[in-house]
Amino acid sequence: MSTIQDTAHRSGATALGGRGIHAVPTMPILSLEGLRKTYRDPMTLKPFTAVDEVTLELERGEIFGLLGPNGAGKTTTIKLLLGLARPTAGRVLLEGREPREPASRSKLGYLPENPCFYDHLTPLEYLDLTGALFGIAPAIRRRRASDLLERLGLGAHARKALRKFSKGMTQRVGLAQALMNEPRLLILDEPMSGLDPVGRSEVKALLREQRAAGVTVLMSSHVLAETEPICNRVGIMKQGRLVEVGTVSTLLQSGVREWEVAVEGMSDAVAAPFRAGGHDVERIGSRSVVRVRNGDSLQDVLRQMLQAGIHVHSVEPRRETLEEHFVRVLDGRTVARGGRS
Amino acid sequence: MRGVVAIAQNTVREVIRQRMVLVLALFGVGLVAASQVLSPLALGEGRKVVTDFGLAGSSLLATLLVVVLGSSLLHKELERRTIYAVMAKPIRRSEFLLGKFCGLWITAAALIAGMFAIVLGVVTVSYGETPWLVLGAMALTVLELGVITAIVVFFSSFTTPALTAFFAAATIVAGNFADDLLYFGSQGAAPWVARATEAVYWMLPHLTVFNARGAVVHGIAVAPERLAFAAAYGLLYLMALLIVAGAIFERREFR
Ligand SMILES: Nc1ncnc2c1ncn2[C@@H]1O[C@H](COP(=O)(O)OP(=O)(O)OP(=O)(O)O)[C@@H](O)[C@H]1O
Ligand SMILES: [Mg+2]
Repeated sequence: MSTIQDTAHRSGATALGGRGIHAVPTMPILSLEGLRKTYRDPMTLKPFTAVDEVTLELERGEIFGLLGPNGAGKTTTIKLLLGLARPTAGRVLLEGREPREPASRSKLGYLPENPCFYDHLTPLEYLDLTGALFGIAPAIRRRRASDLLERLGLGAHARKALRKFSKGMTQRVGLAQALMNEPRLLILDEPMSGLDPVGRSEVKALLREQRAAGVTVLMSSHVLAETEPICNRVGIMKQGRLVEVGTVSTLLQSGVREWEVAVEGMSDAVAAPFRAGGHDVERIGSRSVVRVRNGDSLQDVLRQMLQAGIHVHSVEPRRETLEEHFVRVLDGRTVARGGRS
Repeated sequence: MRGVVAIAQNTVREVIRQRMVLVLALFGVGLVAASQVLSPLALGEGRKVVTDFGLAGSSLLATLLVVVLGSSLLHKELERRTIYAVMAKPIRRSEFLLGKFCGLWITAAALIAGMFAIVLGVVTVSYGETPWLVLGAMALTVLELGVITAIVVFFSSFTTPALTAFFAAATIVAGNFADDLLYFGSQGAAPWVARATEAVYWMLPHLTVFNARGAVVHGIAVAPERLAFAAAYGLLYLMALLIVAGAIFERREFR
């Protein structure tokens, strides 16, 4: 727990922060230091900062979710760390190597956002090309290609031209090509996009399996309900900045918790004191739900209910979902921890 | 290097699957038809006409293929972002560019070989003798196509397909008339104009070096020295272009 908090802190602070003190003996699988990318409008030369002072270190074997609204800079960050775009400032190290060095990418799998592959090939041919680029022996890459296509539910389409693939099918090919080299680091830009519910749960299972095998995953998303159950840590980006980093549970603990107390047959007269006490009371048929805002008053509320002879049906804690947290952070109503904005 | 081979293979496949085989077949059919139509008009020179016509047509067609397909080859990758997944593999951008170049050159060379074979076949069948001298002209044409492919790749490393096609075509035309340019530049103009035209003259690809198509038709063989010189010149020229193109492409920002 404490290391996570430290990392969260470090991520928010600049590269000048406690890196030296916290430095771990093993080489981080991916580290971003004060990463910045400024685009210039070719006509007006007006600068626009798409990624602003992002500092982050991934821990081996974790699934890290990079979250943020459209245009937050997630894809740009990913492009910077693959060497597809050059940073204006700061630096990226993939297991200690600069992304410009081809060798830094030999154990990396990448799924681009809205991927597009060569129309003139079949998935089998495309995976073979991928394998060849990784320098995998022909026999091994052939076997791996057909295994992966099978695994991703494309076995029946292995010899169909990619031109004829639907969005979700293309996404699956994208996942397959990202796994061809049995990567140590997987970088997935919106892996769930375009997939049907079955596909999403398959991908979640696949990612858990990868994590179990020791693979580190960095995935971007804005489908938070999909991200929450699989990510060990998430980072929230807003206007190019990484405003918050932490485990899902630590991020959410700081949010409001409430308890839903469901009771049977409570008259308005009995409900009045609870309303007066600041709790929401909602009536659904013969049942009422009292929303209690904090743990301390929960005890009082329950005691009063039992004294009034009300039948308490259930008491359920309602955690803030990541989605609600996300919206709250982006509204800027919470003071971002670890961030500076 | 294995990356270059993989990209080259893929490029060959890409070009071939764009119905290029059809172009080749149509050309063969067209040539057979033309030779049957033209030979009676040529007063006994039918064999020369067919050969001349065939060789010139083949090289023009292959040049067109390289310029037309080549100018969009790189841009298409950037536009459709197929290059993203490829560049995330352990391969340098310059290797990618070299792979594209090799793939396109190999395809163009295969096209030339196929079309020259058709010309040889037609002449052999119609006139009972095989003009083997044509093979020397073919070797030179393949070298010429290497230079042309490099020109296309060079321009496409930094401009749009339309501009690449335009600049490449302009360079090819100018390259065929480089000697005339030097001559006009030296005719009474100011000394700086003469020097500038001379500089341009040396920079332009001297494509006439590679053209022995007319000569072989008239029974003049390509001398080994000429072939050696053309090979040295062509390879140096295309390597220089590719080095510059690679350096530009390494620095280029993908959208
Ligand atoms: N090549 C470019 N030139 C200029 N501006 C760019 C370029 N690429 C991205 N941007 C800008 O940078 C910002 C961040 O874009 P980015 O694609 O990283 O967002 P994102 O977080 O991935 O969004 P989404 O969730 O929609 O995918 C946007 O405002 C975008 O307009
Ligand atoms: Mg994006």
